[in-house]
Amino acid sequence: MSAANFSKKFIFNENIDADYLYSLYEDDYQYIEEIFQTTLAHFNEDLNSIKTAYQTNNISDLKKAIHKIKPTFGFVGLPFVQNICNDFEDICQKATSSNDLTSEYQQIVVTLAESKELIASEYNKLKEFNSNIL
Amino acid sequence: MKWTCVIVEDLQVAADYLVKCCEKSALLQVKGHFTNVEEALDYLNKNSVDILFLDVEMPGATGFDLLDQLAYYPKVILTTSKSEYAYNAFEYNVTDFLKKPFTYQRFQEALNKLTAAPAGENNISSTATDHIFIKCDGKLVRLNNDDILFIESMGDYVKFVTADSKKYITHNTIKNLEEKVNRQTFIKVHRSYIININKIDDIRENDLFIKGNEIPVSKAHKPDVLKRLNII
Repeated sequence: MSAANFSKKFIFNENIDADYLYSLYEDDYQYIEEIFQTTLAHFNEDLNSIKTAYQTNNISDLKKAIHKIKPTFGFVGLPFVQNICNDFEDICQKATSSNDLTSEYQQIVVTLAESKELIASEYNKLKEFNSNIL
Repeated sequence: MKWTCVIVEDLQVAADYLVKCCEKSALLQVKGHFTNVEEALDYLNKNSVDILFLDVEMPGATGFDLLDQLAYYPKVILTTSKSEYAYNAFEYNVTDFLKKPFTYQRFQEALNKLTAAPAGENNISSTATDHIFIKCDGKLVRLNNDDILFIESMGDYVKFVTADSKKYITHNTIKNLEEKVNRQTFIKVHRSYIININKIDDIRENDLFIKGNEIPVSKAHKPDVLKRLNII
């Protein structure tokens, strides 16, 4: 965002779309670190909203919760997870009960948990990278 | 001078990114960030802003609900992750539609549309200012919004009545002025009257009174008028 132009390039995990991240933030690694940090700070709350809505069979809230967390993944270079969330949101649109989407729900919860681990790992790497540059 | 804007967005990372984009543009001054419609409405009905960055799906009411309840019309840029809202965006005459996450370049394109948009009911220069200029007696006369009590139709002319009991007659129509005046301050109460909402002394049945002037309130407009009053 602020065109930091560090000469050293951070190597993102292969599951993260680095080109996509650079299109959003250029090579402002300090800001990318902030984005990852903010995402992690709110992740559990948003994930819990999804779990609670599913467990209480509240499809409307489940759809809202998945809709809210969806763009988060784009911001951290995981557009394919954003697409998975989008597909799940569409399934929720058609579902009338939690039972209609049990397998899809189980899959997406795993995907979200794995994504969180990846974001946390990248955040720690970015923090170290930025502290070495400073 | 910078445009003032408000961000209504429930996702923190998206709101932070928007703030960053606004700062980088150097064209915008962010006056506030709200995570739900109720808080945003409370702010927006007390403070006039030029631009609204508005998410659609949020806890409780939606962004479109906010637009339905807003007393005036700033320029609106929708920020959402669902392209299905594009049709609604068109219906609400929003300036642009940003799909999250968007690049800074795409954000700039949206800002360019703000400056390119033709004058309309949500034109920045006409609705967000604290004064107007009217052509009267061969000159342009400045009237501060706060000094205007009401505007009355006189056929092809309108009469501006001010707090110091002066009357300014100019060639215009209520219909045209309805789109030009600051909607946070003024409201149409009858096909022949626009009034300053802050100057009402009392309301009785289908009339309201401003400094001794009796002004009719039509049945069609009465609900909107009552909605704007701070009735406790």
